[in-house]
Amino acid sequence: MRSMRDYWLSKLCFDLQDPARVAEYRQHRETVLARYPLKPEVKAAVLADDLAYLARLTNPYLLRYYFAAAGMPDADFIARLRAGTAGG
Amino acid sequence: MAELVGVYAASHAPLIARDWHRLPDPLKQRLSTAYAELGRRLAASRPDAIVGLAPDHWTNFFLDNLPALCIGVGEEHGGPPEPFMRDFAPNPLPGDSALGRHILETALAGGFEPALSYRLRLDHGLCLPLSRLRLTPMPRIVPILINALEPPMLSYRRCLDWGRLLRRAIDTYDAPTRIAVLATGGLSHSIGEPGMGAIDEGYDRRCIDALRRGEEGPLVELLERDTVRAGNGAHEIRNWIVAHAAAGSRGFELVDYLPVPEIYVGSAWAAWRV
Repeated sequence: MRSMRDYWLSKLCFDLQDPARVAEYRQHRETVLARYPLKPEVKAAVLADDLAYLARLTNPYLLRYYFAAAGMPDADFIARLRAGTAGG
Repeated sequence: MAELVGVYAASHAPLIARDWHRLPDPLKQRLSTAYAELGRRLAASRPDAIVGLAPDHWTNFFLDNLPALCIGVGEEHGGPPEPFMRDFAPNPLPGDSALGRHILETALAGGFEPALSYRLRLDHGLCLPLSRLRLTPMPRIVPILINALEPPMLSYRRCLDWGRLLRRAIDTYDAPTRIAVLATGGLSHSIGEPGMGAIDEGYDRRCIDALRRGEEGPLVELLERDTVRAGNGAHEIRNWIVAHAAAGSRGFELVDYLPVPEIYVGSAWAAWRV
């Protein structure tokens, strides 16, 4: 296995496949994040849209789901992937 | 007795549905023609049931419980949850409990330990090809979901074993049922990785050539050597490998191949010799 996954970060990404949760997340990000026992450094990375950091902790498909839910266009997502991260 | 009437494969890509209106007309025409030709062949084989070999895109399974392989034995299956697939029909899809159960029991008797589900949701991975193949009426579906998303995954040799097992199950199914196999996924693509949007055409063409020739040894050698560099989505070729062995590993006819950066996927359509 190439890397271990951060379970709660991955769960957040997984849950944000639901359009209703996406809408809530875009309006009340902190409220939604409070439901997940994220490690402080992981939560900080989520709030900072630190794609490079988060990419090391979750499945690449889930990473894409997360940033799509957060409102990042594919072109920006791809540019940031290429600028700073390796998939896993 | 049941009869294997055809073995087919088609790639899928969410953007074929989500961004269809943005794709260039010549590309739309080429995609439509490829799916239509495969659909024509599949319909001509008059299947009562289709065994659908597909990945799960975090629809049914999560890190809580992630089977290497799961057989859908339900009387019906939920349709795709993705908003861009909201028009898919029929939803729910008809299942074939008896055939699914027979495949499951054949597997357990033969040294395989699959998971089972009485109610799967079939995402774009299987439903996008099914919608584009335009099968009317929709045959009964027995989905077999193979983990291609999160390592570790089935080895390619084990995929060949699964294909032979599937063929044995079809050949021993004691009901007058015409059964087709439809694999979906691949070829090269990368999702959520730095290579997202890139197509490894060389890898795709080497896979196609190996599948055409049929020989299992060189095929496995190629996949073990090169798939890891063809993008994480390329792992979906496991579905093609199961289909290959189910067809007897005698080679296939390529219907079309398109390296399509616009949809992020090296896309192929094929029919095996059975």
